[in-house]
Amino acid sequence: MHAETKDAIVIGAGPAGLTASYELAKHGIRSTILEADQLVGGISRTVNYKGYRFDIGGHRFFSKVPLINEVWDEIIDEDMLIRPRLSRIHYRGHFFDYPLQAGNALSGLGLIEACLIGLSYARTKVFPSRQERNFEEWVANRFGYRLYNIFFKTYTEKVWGIPCTEISADWAAQRIKNLSLVEAVRNALLGGSGKTKDGKIITTLIDKFKYPRLGPGMMWECCESRLEAQGNHTLRGRRVERIRHTQGRVECVYARTNEGELEEFSGDQFFSTMPLRELISALDPAPPDEVLRAANSLAYRDYLTVVLMVKRDKVFPDNWIYIHSPEVKMGRIQNYKNWSPEMVPDSTRTSLGLEYFLWDVDDEWNWSKDRLIDLGMKETIALKLIEENEVEDGTVVRMKKAYPIYDQFYKEHLDVIRRYLATITNLQTIGRNGQHRYNNQDHSMLTGIYAARNVVGANYDIWSVNVEQEYHEETVSDEKATGDRLIPQRVEPDIDAEKVAPDAVIRAAFAKMDPFALGVAMGLVFAISLFMATAALLVKGGDVVGPHLSLLGHFFIGYEVTWLGALLGLIEAGIGGFMIGYVGAGLRNWTMSTYTKLLKRRAEMDQSKDLLDKV
Amino acid sequence: MSTQNADQEVSRAIARMKAGILAFIFAIIGGGGLFVMTAWLLVKGGPQVGKTLNLLGHFFIGYEVTWLGAFVGLIYGALTGGIIGWCIGIVYNRIVGIPSTS
Repeated sequence: MHAETKDAIVIGAGPAGLTASYELAKHGIRSTILEADQLVGGISRTVNYKGYRFDIGGHRFFSKVPLINEVWDEIIDEDMLIRPRLSRIHYRGHFFDYPLQAGNALSGLGLIEACLIGLSYARTKVFPSRQERNFEEWVANRFGYRLYNIFFKTYTEKVWGIPCTEISADWAAQRIKNLSLVEAVRNALLGGSGKTKDGKIITTLIDKFKYPRLGPGMMWECCESRLEAQGNHTLRGRRVERIRHTQGRVECVYARTNEGELEEFSGDQFFSTMPLRELISALDPAPPDEVLRAANSLAYRDYLTVVLMVKRDKVFPDNWIYIHSPEVKMGRIQNYKNWSPEMVPDSTRTSLGLEYFLWDVDDEWNWSKDRLIDLGMKETIALKLIEENEVEDGTVVRMKKAYPIYDQFYKEHLDVIRRYLATITNLQTIGRNGQHRYNNQDHSMLTGIYAARNVVGANYDIWSVNVEQEYHEETVSDEKATGDRLIPQRVEPDIDAEKVAPDAVIRAAFAKMDPFALGVAMGLVFAISLFMATAALLVKGGDVVGPHLSLLGHFFIGYEVTWLGALLGLIEAGIGGFMIGYVGAGLRNWTMSTYTKLLKRRAEMDQSKDLLDKV
Repeated sequence: MSTQNADQEVSRAIARMKAGILAFIFAIIGGGGLFVMTAWLLVKGGPQVGKTLNLLGHFFIGYEVTWLGAFVGLIYGALTGGIIGWCIGIVYNRIVGIPSTS
């Protein structure tokens, strides 16, 4: 058995693992990366088949975290393309713009269907589901049942393999950034798009995105090369089988090579991107039964791509198409050439990636390559995207555990696992499967960076990354080395400094007025004013004292311009002033509250526009 | 800070009044209002110009519905409005500033 000692051992050469190693190298810490596969990049790899390059799904390089953009630029600045985004929805022979546009959607669906959608929408507005318990109720409450059935139900069920009624409404709500009142008002007043430090507007996910010239795998191959040059080796074909730990520390990991040899890797710090289920079962000694049960209860959705090489230079202009038509099993079609022209070896050819979301126990998962290619061809022809004789080659790529499943119990299981893992002080779990969290690439990278920084004295809460679906700033705790998971704070205070002043104004403007206080203030002023006015006339005297002011007696019972009347007026004007102040403050608060609800609702609808991207 | 906490923070926050600004606004409304009302009656004209508004002269010494009176009223109105606004602001802030026992 071969044994090696390094400062840090990173399990998995996906975005999280490689970024962790990259960050460690910046701090002078050497690391060894163990990758089970023959390719780096994890789910962000690029597969090369006879010169045709393709992703495991499409990976847009878009992040609202400046740090991640900087890392991408550092690794492959010149090879990064800015690509326009076009993706549409295919449903029953029609293409629909995405995000949905009312005119386009209604013209594609026809007048009768449009009317039925309108009626359905009106019905859910008048009679919404009181409790939003599941995804169906959540979406239908916002778009109406009919639109939900057409544009959300089939695709979501294809991706996740469970009925929408069994998907938690919380999950849907997490997909949509829940803007706070201040954010909603700021967006309404100042516009929704964020700004970078140098004041440039952050492009929305809808318009365009960065993409490496040779696919996302290029990023990770470059990253691997840079690490290699610094003496940080990535060892491919090493499947970690056992993680030996004692007294709250991992001592070493054992990895099996493709040739069957068992290798031992020792280190001071360990980073794991392994699926939590596999990580827990690899621990030696084994964790308590409760932890093992929790890990074994975590579920994953698997993913399969059928790639067809088509003898045509242009098939469709989209980067990808969402396939909502229930007649076919595929969920999306990628057109890799539209991601980068260099993804195909011959510009007269097009490669299409037909994406199937499956369980590894499904029949299709175990179908032969030829049978799957045949299925893909038939379905693509049925969608009228290609002709029968246009396909000249094809291949299949399977990716197990591509999507962590958020079932109704996963949080409880995850909590059990997290509590246990917290007792192993030199092991950090990062990345999508390392945290069983539906992270984007940038989220996974951020967990890697945070974990690496924790080794050199920082105290980041890695589990706070992507707790909300979208975020603008990095987070870090200001309390150091307490060992607890801490409340996140900004790492670079200047990022949002310019938001602070408007936010303070918004908070002050939307703060409630105290009705009682305003009532008392106005009551006092009214009371004293009337008393003084009456007293002034009485002191002044004359034949007929204050005939006009006496007319207030119509409103203030018993009031007249006498000393007794002055006292009565003081009391009654006080009461009247109090009521005016109290009601006025209440009305002002109600108006502000209604206005802010309206703003939040608008903001939520804006967020919902690209809901499919988040499914 | 979570969205919920951020919203709770706003919903719990109680507005404070800037007494000086409130006084200024009330002064403009009071002074400007009285000036405009006086001027309006003068421009409108008639046999008995501003008979009722003239009664303010009981409180604002020197005020009458004339062009000179309009300027005198402007000062009185602004002064009175300012005092009222300032008083409301001060009293409101004092009450809001009393710590809640709940």
